[in-house]
Amino acid sequence: MKFTTKRDAFLKPLQMVAGVVERRQTLPILSNVLLRVADNIAYITGTDLEVELVARVSLESSEAGEITVPARKLVDLFRELPDGSTINVELIEQKLIIRCDRFRSSIATLPAAEFPSIDRSEISQEIEMDGTALKMLIDRTSFAMAQQDVRYFLNGMLMEVNDDEIKVVATDGHRLAMCTSEIGSSGNSVEQVIIPRKGVVELQRLVGEADGKVKIIFGANHLGVETGDFNLLTKLLDGKFPDYERVIPRGGDNVLVADRQELRHALNRTSILSNEKFRGIRVSLKAGNIQLSANNLEQEEAEENVSVDYQGESLEIGFNVGYLLDVLGVLESEQVRFTLSDANSSALLEEPGDDRSLYVVMPMKL
Amino acid sequence: MNLTRKIIHVDMDCFYAAVEMRDNPVLKSVPLAVGGASDRRGVVSTCNYIAREFGVHSAMATGYAQKLCPDLIVIPGRMKHYQQVSRQIREIFQTYTDLVEPLSLDEAYLDVSDSDLFGGSATLTAKDIRNRIKDELDLTASAGIAPNKFIAKICSEENKPDGQFVVTPDEVDDFVKSLALSKIPGVGKATLKRLESHQLYTCGDVRYWDQNKLHHTFGALGELLYKRSWGIDDRPVRTEWIRKSLSVERTFPKDIMSLQACEPEFIRLFDELKQRLERHASDRCIKNQLVKLKFSDFRSTTIERRARSLSVELFRELLPLAWLRGSDQGIRLLGLGVNFADIDHEIEQLSLFD
Repeated sequence: MKFTTKRDAFLKPLQMVAGVVERRQTLPILSNVLLRVADNIAYITGTDLEVELVARVSLESSEAGEITVPARKLVDLFRELPDGSTINVELIEQKLIIRCDRFRSSIATLPAAEFPSIDRSEISQEIEMDGTALKMLIDRTSFAMAQQDVRYFLNGMLMEVNDDEIKVVATDGHRLAMCTSEIGSSGNSVEQVIIPRKGVVELQRLVGEADGKVKIIFGANHLGVETGDFNLLTKLLDGKFPDYERVIPRGGDNVLVADRQELRHALNRTSILSNEKFRGIRVSLKAGNIQLSANNLEQEEAEENVSVDYQGESLEIGFNVGYLLDVLGVLESEQVRFTLSDANSSALLEEPGDDRSLYVVMPMKL
Repeated sequence: MNLTRKIIHVDMDCFYAAVEMRDNPVLKSVPLAVGGASDRRGVVSTCNYIAREFGVHSAMATGYAQKLCPDLIVIPGRMKHYQQVSRQIREIFQTYTDLVEPLSLDEAYLDVSDSDLFGGSATLTAKDIRNRIKDELDLTASAGIAPNKFIAKICSEENKPDGQFVVTPDEVDDFVKSLALSKIPGVGKATLKRLESHQLYTCGDVRYWDQNKLHHTFGALGELLYKRSWGIDDRPVRTEWIRKSLSVERTFPKDIMSLQACEPEFIRLFDELKQRLERHASDRCIKNQLVKLKFSDFRSTTIERRARSLSVELFRELLPLAWLRGSDQGIRLLGLGVNFADIDHEIEQLSLFD
């Protein structure tokens, strides 16, 4: 194996792939990346056995071959070589020789045959959609995934395809985030998969880089996402995702519309003196005004009045302020609409005039 | 509450013995045990590593320990002195965080989640704590660093003595998966036997056992094991002791033979309970009230009922019910008390899915 590449063309894809590789591995081969060269393209692969990422880099000249090398060392070397430099890479007697100007290094390798790959399951369908639309789906919902819940299927994100629509849902059991987008093609069959947390995180990094089309490949036990330069493969969580439709409140009659940024700042300020563990905040609604108030165990307190558009009945309801701030932080509209029914029922948060994103937050008894 | 925490469990290495060896270096090179003498049926409370090589361990009868290790030097413990050293150790802890929960004289949990020391590295913090204990007190400690208490506690055993071991949030899953159930605090010999009779040896085994069956077979412990087997332990580091109950009781000079005769003592005890509640726990929510009786034959019974606030009527209802259990025996002791609601549960986050 032998190739020549520009440092700047190789470093970014290499870093993306190395990001998948777990820092501390018990199996030495898992801290390596697989380098494969064929037809003037370098394929760089990293895996943690749950998520696998392959980057493609076009080369100027090359001789085919494959080998694995420690991810960390390779990234560090490429990063420290000068911007704009040309790098020669060659496998000689099971050592990877890297040359650049007057620099030369030799790195230990492990055979490519030992590099594990995630089993590909039978593919049920492929869809193609806009990369920025996929990015929005994930950015708007991923914060609501559970972290280490015993209900392991909550530690991930539901992705659902139906005809011309794709929908993602994330929930930790206390709040739920859902975002829908058009695929751009119709007649897609119904598909429902749960992507594990790690897969979502890598996907988010990936689509942050990609503009243009992405291809999503649904398999029985895995999901693939292909952009121009990368192929991501993640295992899926099995288990039954909760019936999210059932918990989306319908027909609450107390509707409040507030300036999103103004409310966000007010909540941020008030939350400073809320109980650090529970972050509870009381919201008192009256016609045209809401009062936010919080206090902590040391009996310190804060309150703020915010003018809002509200004509409903007087109502007092408690929330974990973090859950509200998460939503207000990902929305982009000028205003935010709350639909409430009473102090023990969930609140619905939406962007007025745009029903693509929807959030449900359960209250807190304070 | 999903934020990743950084918990350090610090465990002094054979604490009492180490203090004795430090104060009298001659003891460093001999097998040493601190504990009760064999002629008074005493047991070993701590021993040094030389003694451990002979198979001596804590809670072993001193007589038996001396059989295993004939040269064993057994010295009585100086609790006052150990308490004082323990205080010095705690003062060192306090310079790193206010969130220190002592478990005994020689071990404590520290929550350093919000600490900025050493760039927020709990590993380096633990190293520094151990270095200071060594420099300032000439004693060694081991530490476990993990995202929760139970893993931290298991970790502190890994590289004992004078070592530490870290399990990062990413490693929790792998670490716990292969963890032997015997390592989980709270799983003793008897429980272990029961678990093994169901072919449950590691946390990995528990994970894939039927959760309902686990609950039915092992009750509350089953639920705890299920959580632990997934590496979950949400218990906070508690800096102060939190009262769970408050009660008052009196043993009578002569057994009381009827309920009516109890009345004056009943009133007196109730007033005392009320006063103590006002003084010590005015900010707490009562969960239930209880009446305790001890009968002439030394059997005792407790009867409790849910309550939100202290009610003399409820005690009056419970007392005859408890009395019935004694089948007309005399009453040696009468007690009245309350249990408090857990502080955490006074605020409740509602759930989306029942």
